[in-house]
Amino acid sequence: MDAADEGELVRRIARQDRRAFDELYRRTAPWLEVRLRRRCADADLVAEVLQDTYLTVWRAAGSFAGTRNGGARGSAVGWLWTIAAHHLVDAFRRRARRAQRPQVPLMPATAPAAEDEVMAARIGQELEQALLTLPVEVRAALRATVLDGLSSREASVLLGVPENTVKSRVRRARIALREALS
Amino acid sequence: MSTHPTLSQLDRYATGAPALDEPSVWAIEVHLEDCADCRARLAGSTTGDSRAVIERVAMNLAREIAASPAPDARTRPWSVLRHRWLVGTLSPWLAMTVAVLACAALLSGMRTGLPSLVLLIAPLAPLPGVAVAWHRRADPAWELVAATPAAGLTTLLRRTAAVLAFVIPALALVGAGTGVSLALTLLPCLAFTVATLLLGTLVGVHRAAIGLILTWVFVVVAPSLATARIPMFLQPESAGIWALTTVVLTVTAIFRVNGFRRLSRHG
Amino acid sequence: MMRALSTAETAPTTHPWVIHAQGLQVRAGRHLAVNGLDLTLNTGVHGLLGPNGAGKTTLMRALATVVAPSGGRLTLLGQSVDGRADLRPVRRALGYLPQHFGFYPRFTVREFVAYMAWLKEMPKARIPAAVQRSIDRVGLTAKADARLKTLSGGMLRRAGIAQAIVNDPQVLLLDEPTVGLDPEQRLDFRELLRDLGTDSCVLVSTHLVEDVAAACTDVVLVNEGRLVWQGTTEVLIAQGDQSHAGDSAAERGYSAILRRHRAEAAR
Repeated sequence: MDAADEGELVRRIARQDRRAFDELYRRTAPWLEVRLRRRCADADLVAEVLQDTYLTVWRAAGSFAGTRNGGARGSAVGWLWTIAAHHLVDAFRRRARRAQRPQVPLMPATAPAAEDEVMAARIGQELEQALLTLPVEVRAALRATVLDGLSSREASVLLGVPENTVKSRVRRARIALREALS
Repeated sequence: MSTHPTLSQLDRYATGAPALDEPSVWAIEVHLEDCADCRARLAGSTTGDSRAVIERVAMNLAREIAASPAPDARTRPWSVLRHRWLVGTLSPWLAMTVAVLACAALLSGMRTGLPSLVLLIAPLAPLPGVAVAWHRRADPAWELVAATPAAGLTTLLRRTAAVLAFVIPALALVGAGTGVSLALTLLPCLAFTVATLLLGTLVGVHRAAIGLILTWVFVVVAPSLATARIPMFLQPESAGIWALTTVVLTVTAIFRVNGFRRLSRHG
Repeated sequence: MMRALSTAETAPTTHPWVIHAQGLQVRAGRHLAVNGLDLTLNTGVHGLLGPNGAGKTTLMRALATVVAPSGGRLTLLGQSVDGRADLRPVRRALGYLPQHFGFYPRFTVREFVAYMAWLKEMPKARIPAAVQRSIDRVGLTAKADARLKTLSGGMLRRAGIAQAIVNDPQVLLLDEPTVGLDPEQRLDFRELLRDLGTDSCVLVSTHLVEDVAAACTDVVLVNEGRLVWQGTTEVLIAQGDQSHAGDSAAERGYSAILRRHRAEAAR
């Protein structure tokens, strides 16, 4: 069990292997919890999304393992995040309906510090430059669409702004990126 | 793979204090998706709150999983393939086609006085299947499928391909068994399929297929049976003409792709 | 994993209405069931009410692009669907539950919803989780791997809703979705409707005025193929008083508007 990668664990979950499921949870839940928490301050909501995500994994692993890339190494973790991101949007929809918008920013990234630990060759220089100079709300739109893989419609639910606002912010980021390139 | 973040960076990522700058957060998140080792290191950095949530959810999950029946989501590749390409609606027609072909082969084998029935009906073999490939009454879920982007042309072509994939081997088999020229069974069969689709853009595929079947039966099959002679254009030397016809029809069909769009409206 | 964004994805939405019909005419057989209907709808849950034979189902079928309008203009998501335009982009953003739908009895719920997701041309990798999510949302989790032929009427209805919402449609058309649901399931369904309405345009055709009053933000009332009244649920309720027929305030409002409309038409 220790040697199996996440893809193998998902294939075993597809055969209703509870131990593989527990192992996958042990390995990936902390990462997923932190990533969700950075997008939503409400611990109850994070718990709800985490639970929905792993229930979906348990129930849908069979059909996922059957898809072309389903069993591939590395795709399982990306799959987990996609499920979690969509459940997060669903949770925000529910809250939006009850008119209690969850507070979004818990761990706001700060302005650039004179960083002692520089990670070399991390995400591309121009993107890095853009991320340092763009306003907070533009970065948030970019993160929801590019990093979290959501559609602009889903991002608008998450960020609590109209879809066209999300789109214009992403366009702004693109322009900034192009300038950073030239 | 990008460089691994340091332990203190992971700490700051997990706890939010002191805050990281945006590019570092992006780099860490991209990296964590690919790196199992760093995910394991991150688990050691999580806050007490996080660990409490993770434990609570683990218990809830155990309860939920125990409470609901085990999922049986194993994909059956054959079943998926069958559903996507045939959806069961074509099988009666394909069965009928095979039965007719088998009868023709038997008759040809018994009564050598008559012209080869296999040769005469080969062009018609795929038409019943094509006729019902995208037809309101032939598909129980027509109303549902009709509102999807795959409705009309896509579904029609997909199912036509499925029909051909089935009919061509059957024809080849029967043709080989009765000693009929392979080119003279398969080429007319293809030509008629394309002609049906092409005519279908004008009058609907269903009507086109019925029209072509009736025309062929009255103009070719009946006289050949009456005179006990194979018509000239089904003699071996006509194979080239059939090949040419098929190519010309296919090219015309490709140029009329916009006409096919309208098929999405035809029931 | 970072995703590349296409320019098309970030192009601003310019259409003022999700659904926009002007002088819409739609035939049901020979009869013009929708005759000169004007309608504009945006995000939210809209209830479509009207007496039997008012043209509700025909209107739903036209909005679902299953039947082509015979007159007037109809645009969905800013794209005209009355001409010979390519309907595929619109259909990808569409969810449709017909009043009656046929299905393939040997499919399991999961296979059925996955098949519809595939026809809606969703990215393949997203289908398994999206299917599970929509099955969970309609409360069929325990029956996900049961064959359709073993389901009760209410369960089938819910499987139909699951296939309609699997692609997160921007336009969701539900024709009599609550038929066969027991009272508790109807309450759950109303919750689901409100969730869906946060970022989709949902049109629910029903003869149950209470469903509309409980779950819809506004009401569209049609009679004899035309729009009679459109307004919020509160205003509908305010239209009626004790002198009007009905068991609830919403029903009295409904019959008050209908009676007034008929009186005006008779003059």
